[in-house]
Amino acid sequence: MTRRRGTGLLSASLLAVLALFAGACGDSKDSEKSGSATPAASGTKQDADVTEINVFLIPSPSSTSIQSFIPEFTKKTGIKVNFTETPYAEAHNKQLLSYKQKAGAYDVAQFDNTYLASFGANKVMTPLDDYLKNSAEYDIADFSEGQQDYGKFDGTTFGLTLSTEPMIQWYRTDLLADAGLEPATTWDEYLSNAQALKAAGKAGNVLGFGPGVTWWWMTLVWSFGGQLYDKDLKPTVTSDAAVEATEYLKKLLEAGPDGASSLDGDTSVAKFFSTDVGEMLNYSGYYGSVKTPENPFAGKFATAAMPKGKADITHLAGWNIGIPSDSKKQDAAWQFLEFVLGKSNAKAYLESGAAAIGRKSITSDAELAKSDPYLPLLDIPASSRIERYPQLKVWPDFQKAADEAITPILTGDVEVKQGLEDLNTKLAGILAGENE
Amino acid sequence: MTAAARSRSARRARWVATGLTAPSWLLLLALFAIPIGIGIWLSFRNEALNSFAEPRFVGLDNYQRMVTEPTSGELIDAAVVTVIIMGLGLAVQLPIGVGLAVLLNRQLKFSRWYRSALLIPMLLTPVAVGLMWRFMLDTDTGVINWLLERVGLFGPDWLGSRWGARVAVVLVDSWQSIPFVMLLILAGLAGIPDGPDEAARVDGASSLQVFRRITLPQLKPVLYVVLMIRVIDTFKLFDTIFILTRGGPGTATQTLAMYNYSLGFVLLKTSQAAALGTVLAIITLPVYFLWQRASRAVEA
Repeated sequence: MTRRRGTGLLSASLLAVLALFAGACGDSKDSEKSGSATPAASGTKQDADVTEINVFLIPSPSSTSIQSFIPEFTKKTGIKVNFTETPYAEAHNKQLLSYKQKAGAYDVAQFDNTYLASFGANKVMTPLDDYLKNSAEYDIADFSEGQQDYGKFDGTTFGLTLSTEPMIQWYRTDLLADAGLEPATTWDEYLSNAQALKAAGKAGNVLGFGPGVTWWWMTLVWSFGGQLYDKDLKPTVTSDAAVEATEYLKKLLEAGPDGASSLDGDTSVAKFFSTDVGEMLNYSGYYGSVKTPENPFAGKFATAAMPKGKADITHLAGWNIGIPSDSKKQDAAWQFLEFVLGKSNAKAYLESGAAAIGRKSITSDAELAKSDPYLPLLDIPASSRIERYPQLKVWPDFQKAADEAITPILTGDVEVKQGLEDLNTKLAGILAGENE
Repeated sequence: MTAAARSRSARRARWVATGLTAPSWLLLLALFAIPIGIGIWLSFRNEALNSFAEPRFVGLDNYQRMVTEPTSGELIDAAVVTVIIMGLGLAVQLPIGVGLAVLLNRQLKFSRWYRSALLIPMLLTPVAVGLMWRFMLDTDTGVINWLLERVGLFGPDWLGSRWGARVAVVLVDSWQSIPFVMLLILAGLAGIPDGPDEAARVDGASSLQVFRRITLPQLKPVLYVVLMIRVIDTFKLFDTIFILTRGGPGTATQTLAMYNYSLGFVLLKTSQAAALGTVLAIITLPVYFLWQRASRAVEA
């Protein structure tokens, strides 16, 4: 009897909740319908009187700089800018959810270049080429060709460059001077410097040997003359160049701080900026930390070009920013992007603490180079092949597999050739899914 | 009062009771039953957050993929890692928890103070605990290796080596879980009558004999409960590992919970993650029923 009553109650409650839930689903469907009938979805870019736009940002120096321009933009145009900052870990998931629902929640969105392929292939970002063609203020010609390509997927520009961050060499001037060493120009010199410092009781070098190690590993594979996969999407990580690069990375770990195999990108930077480490390979975007006067080693950091290997490559990373296709205020969104990232405000953008955008007019500015001596490194010579995150839809799977394979190789748990062969097999399966 | 009036009154009381408990039922359904139902429904579809293709019903495809995908070896690795961390954890937590409970049960001097102090780790959030230990276990600048060096020992590479990382995870999880084990055992000990102990002592039994032959058998039901709770807890252990090692180095500390997280939130394979979550829930069901049985034994 009691059980029957309980069951009845449970059924009644379940029905009530299901009814509520069905109501909620109905609402969401309705709003989706009205969204698809909007001018943005039908190809028209802009409603007539835009009074406000929504900007999606990811916490970073670039985001902070963008925010500093908002009051001036509003004063100039009368357009109110609402911004939301979402931590990196959830940022792209949140964007994907919004784009899938065609919610039109954001008019401008910052995103990592690793998502360009996914966003571009699914056309969730608006092509910007028409805007770029007609904008003297943005002046796309002020960027080198490689930089112009940074926001392109399949020949179409889906994102502007929000920061240009080549992988560069960082070093401690005092530690190198004490050991009588010069900044390296080749990988052999870089390793011998690190080993000499290690022998002198200091940590020779640091990079993210743990989670995210793929970023450095692929840089070395490219620089040693290898590729991650061929034009038929067959993995090539067992090539001689890849083996040599992996063995080299293993030697760098041995010359690194104790326990470096657990460091990710950010913790390796923290280690370099707060302890005695001679050299670091990392993206130029971290330069803002060097300028922090509270740093105990402030004034003792310097940068140089990444050492050269068999192939002259530049590994370029950094943020993109674009206009979601479901935005109903695309012209106003472009107006905002043009204002913040255009030529007129380029200096102010850098001075407000952002990682530099590789405009030629900025990288060649002698005055700016005094406060940001790394700027000339962003002026990537035409001879250098620009490499960036592979533009693959399966990139997250690719990176996860590589991350999990490389660290055990570096720590000696797995032998180099065997580890790369296992990885190659795994990647073959992952890359086969690229065109599914 | 007539029988009819009594019946009306009882019916009204039932309706009042139903009305009063209905909000709780609704809340439970909204927070548990519906998400679980949606999770199971998702597991039969091909939803992926980063795919803009029209999702459709795919039957058991996601369940088959767990064993046929090129990355399926990782699932087996994750299961092995889960068992290793669970085994090591239980081997540390149960004896120490029981030992501490027995000591505190003796009402020694400052017992109450020790009891309060020992409970502190249990009250801290796992993320804060993970961050704190991550700093302490840093091979280069951490206080633990510094202390080990002071006494002439060579500190291992805690978070960068396969076994170092696993031991570190067990260490941190144990630091936080032992107070819980201790507390439950202490409650169990409080329910054991003194008579048999005293009789055994009068007959000349040593403390160890009393513990092994009299106390421990009486603690068995409580120990089962503790064991089952810890098995379930370790099965879903995530936060500590995420903060300490993110499942690394390589896949050395990637447990099933961590693997499922990567599937759902890193690789954005929503339906595959839902399928794995469903399988994990089914795997833990027997443990849940064993726990229920042990709980009933304790109550009896």
